[in-house]
Amino acid sequence: MKNKYIFGGFIIVVFLGIMIYLFTQSNIQYKDDFTQVMNTTKTVKATGSWVKTKSYHIDKANKTFSFYLMDDKGNEMKVIYDGTMPNNFETATSVVVTGTYTGDYFHAKDILTKCPSKYENQQVQTSGL
Amino acid sequence: MIGTIVLVAALAFSLMSMVMYYLSFRGYKNAINYARIAYHGMAMLVIVASTLLWYALLTHQYEYKYVFSYSNNSLKTGFLLASFWGGQEGSFMLWLLLTSIIGIFLQSYASKRGDLEQRVMTVFTLATTFLLIMVSPWFKNPFEFIWTSPMFIELKSINPKYFNLSFIQSFLFTDQGSGNSFVQVNSDLRNLLANSGITLNQFIVDGRGLNPQLLNFWMQIHPPILFTGFSMATVPFSFAIAALMKNDYKDWVRQAFPWLLAGMGILGLGIMLGGYWAYEMLGWGGYWAWDPVENSSLIPWIVGVAGIHTLLVQRKTQVKGSIGKFVKTNLILCILTYVLVLYSTFLTRSGVLGDASVHSFVDPGMIVYLFLFFFIGTFILIGAGSIIYRWKYLSDPTQSEEGLISRELALFTASIVLIAAATIVIVGTSAPLFGHSVDTFFYNEMNLPIAIIIGLLNGLSLIIKWRDTGKKDVIKKSLPLLGVSVLISVLIILFGGISQLMIILLTFSTTFALVVNAEIAYKIIRGNKKMLGAYVAHIGISLFILGVIGSAVFTQEKDIDLVKNQSQSAFGYEMTFTDIYPIENNTKYEFNIDVKKGNTEYKVKPVMYISDFNNSLMRVPAILTLPTKDIYFSPLGYDDGTSSEVHGKQISVLIGNEFEFGNAKIKYNEFIKPDISQMMSGGDITMGTKLTVSYDGKDYNITPMIKRESNKFVYTPAEIKEANLKIEVQKIDPQSQKANFVVSKINGETQPTQPKEVLTLTASIKPFISLVWIGVVVMVFGFFISVARRLPESFIKSS
Repeated sequence: MKNKYIFGGFIIVVFLGIMIYLFTQSNIQYKDDFTQVMNTTKTVKATGSWVKTKSYHIDKANKTFSFYLMDDKGNEMKVIYDGTMPNNFETATSVVVTGTYTGDYFHAKDILTKCPSKYENQQVQTSGL
Repeated sequence: MIGTIVLVAALAFSLMSMVMYYLSFRGYKNAINYARIAYHGMAMLVIVASTLLWYALLTHQYEYKYVFSYSNNSLKTGFLLASFWGGQEGSFMLWLLLTSIIGIFLQSYASKRGDLEQRVMTVFTLATTFLLIMVSPWFKNPFEFIWTSPMFIELKSINPKYFNLSFIQSFLFTDQGSGNSFVQVNSDLRNLLANSGITLNQFIVDGRGLNPQLLNFWMQIHPPILFTGFSMATVPFSFAIAALMKNDYKDWVRQAFPWLLAGMGILGLGIMLGGYWAYEMLGWGGYWAWDPVENSSLIPWIVGVAGIHTLLVQRKTQVKGSIGKFVKTNLILCILTYVLVLYSTFLTRSGVLGDASVHSFVDPGMIVYLFLFFFIGTFILIGAGSIIYRWKYLSDPTQSEEGLISRELALFTASIVLIAAATIVIVGTSAPLFGHSVDTFFYNEMNLPIAIIIGLLNGLSLIIKWRDTGKKDVIKKSLPLLGVSVLISVLIILFGGISQLMIILLTFSTTFALVVNAEIAYKIIRGNKKMLGAYVAHIGISLFILGVIGSAVFTQEKDIDLVKNQSQSAFGYEMTFTDIYPIENNTKYEFNIDVKKGNTEYKVKPVMYISDFNNSLMRVPAILTLPTKDIYFSPLGYDDGTSSEVHGKQISVLIGNEFEFGNAKIKYNEFIKPDISQMMSGGDITMGTKLTVSYDGKDYNITPMIKRESNKFVYTPAEIKEANLKIEVQKIDPQSQKANFVVSKINGETQPTQPKEVLTLTASIKPFISLVWIGVVVMVFGFFISVARRLPESFIKSS
């Protein structure tokens, strides 16, 4: 049974090695604290909510979409995304952007909008109207 | 109510069947009859419960939370039937239904093969029991009534003739943000309605409907096939545990083989259909995104396929009554396949991947999370525990070592490589559990060398023989095949202009596997066609990988602005956007694009619409399928020429305060209160704000207004042409004294005099993408040829 273990073991060791190496290379961490996002040059996934009170901009010529994102602690960050406003953006409860902070703004390559799943968790209040 | 009772009864039958089968295994002969009756009773009850759920969906019984949440009146019958598995509860129900039906076949299969039935069914009924607990009233019951937990329902879903009921007022709520009104449905309201003789089915007249991304033809087909594959993975697991129970590892291999083949064939087809759905529907142009949901069904498939190869070795090496090689490997792989199906369910249903996927996962709550954890933990414990318990019996001392050049060792190596691939996908998919995430290049980079090795091993293992093969023999046989493979690869590489080393290697290894399998298939096609299975499956997977190379490496993509009636050229095609028109009762817009090359003209029709379901823009791509390539049109946006870029600001201001926009200062002076008498009589309500805008040394007084007509808000913005300013008041809150404004530039002023209609889209060329689909279909066909061959072999004369 020696050959079996030599072959199997060799393959497992080689792939585990490559995998750990690549994992550290492509590893992207989730950050929900923007002070940390702004202090790293690594690619991260920043989670926050859209600041609706600040101006947003859809630039059709350069195909970018810029807006402000705020984390739980109230830190705001400008985000420029290579693309147009994604589906569901207006109704999203939270936004996950993947990219790097460039010093002035967060350059997002990817954007994921989390929508209120139905209205189950939505706060509905009585209004003054 | 009946549905819930039926499911609870089914749970009792399932438990009884499990206990009786176990007693029968322990020697109580009479118990097996009770066990069989209980199993069939359980299966019948599950079928009845499923029929009840379908009936509730077809007859729009919105008193059920599930029916309300996942269907509505406008769904056509096909989609109504498919909304059965539109949500979590229903997909567990579908899984249960298919597992129960498969169990009927399994029981009949096992009863004809010695003492197999008692053991196999003991394990199998444990699985059905767990699934039944999942849909029981304590967890994800599809028959839960809508009022059991308070739920906010939009007014449009409520029968308007009950609006004047006196007690309705205390259940009415308005969401300040959106201005929508809701009725809170809870047990109090239900009781009050019941007192007035009104049922909830009368009160709630429409449901929320399906997510628009699910409204696709494949929604009716993909989930049942995928879940059939998941359900069938229970069977090899049961066989493996059954073998461990009896401590006999010879016969189970042949008995489990057709089930594993069929299960993996169906699961493979299901995964591919999911990919095709994504390609056709989601509009990003690909079929595989390494999304957790996709990955989690791929992992058990890869492990199951690895198991097929080592099971084959064990079967081939069972000579003279020995149990064969790789006994432990086979037991572990069959157990692991099902455990990974459960793990995949855990990943995708427990809410742990919340931030990581486009599929929206609802957090099902702690208790379901713990139960799923318990479910998977139980099966891991049973599997691992029984293997450790029997460890010393699990090797065959009579087996000699595999030769260095033997098919046994090649197949074993191939399985290990497949497991390496599965491990990579598991690690990447599970990373979010630990707050990490991997980029898709992790999967691509890792699986590329694996695919190369697998192609080479595939070809090589078929050239070398079982047991030991002489080196000269191998070289003599492989040289002509290698020559043909090199020739074809060189042609592909030169013709396609491939320059990356890894892709060149992959092309060669895949071509090699294709040539070797095609040669063997050609030799035996006139002989026993049942022997073709493996070769057909291998040809399929080779074609698939060639399709992946073609579509992934050679895709060209371009963003194009198509001005109406002006032709543009891209990829050698003349494209003209000619028309936009409403379809499906004005709910969607279709764009017509003429695509021309030489004298051939095609028409493609991408679609865009605003979905009521989630109030967002949906873009449906159009695909032009040509013999050697697809041209893929994904709409990005449409500008009808009347508005320029969107540029605005939303701001909340306290009364008496100022804010700035550009060079203008805006002061919120006064709240124009609505007329109280009108408010009391329920008529339209008008309110507004008084603002002073200072711009260029001048002051302007404006009064943007809001009016509420029945349940709709009408906004009357104020404009100041001199300042190029438009102000709309969106919300006024008298309590906090704050108002929300949207300030923007007046549109149109900076516009060119000639409005242009522009359709922006991403066009891409995807060469040979059809090989991806064809390859998988051919592969699945091969699996089923093998099933036909291995089924008769599973009858073993009682030893």
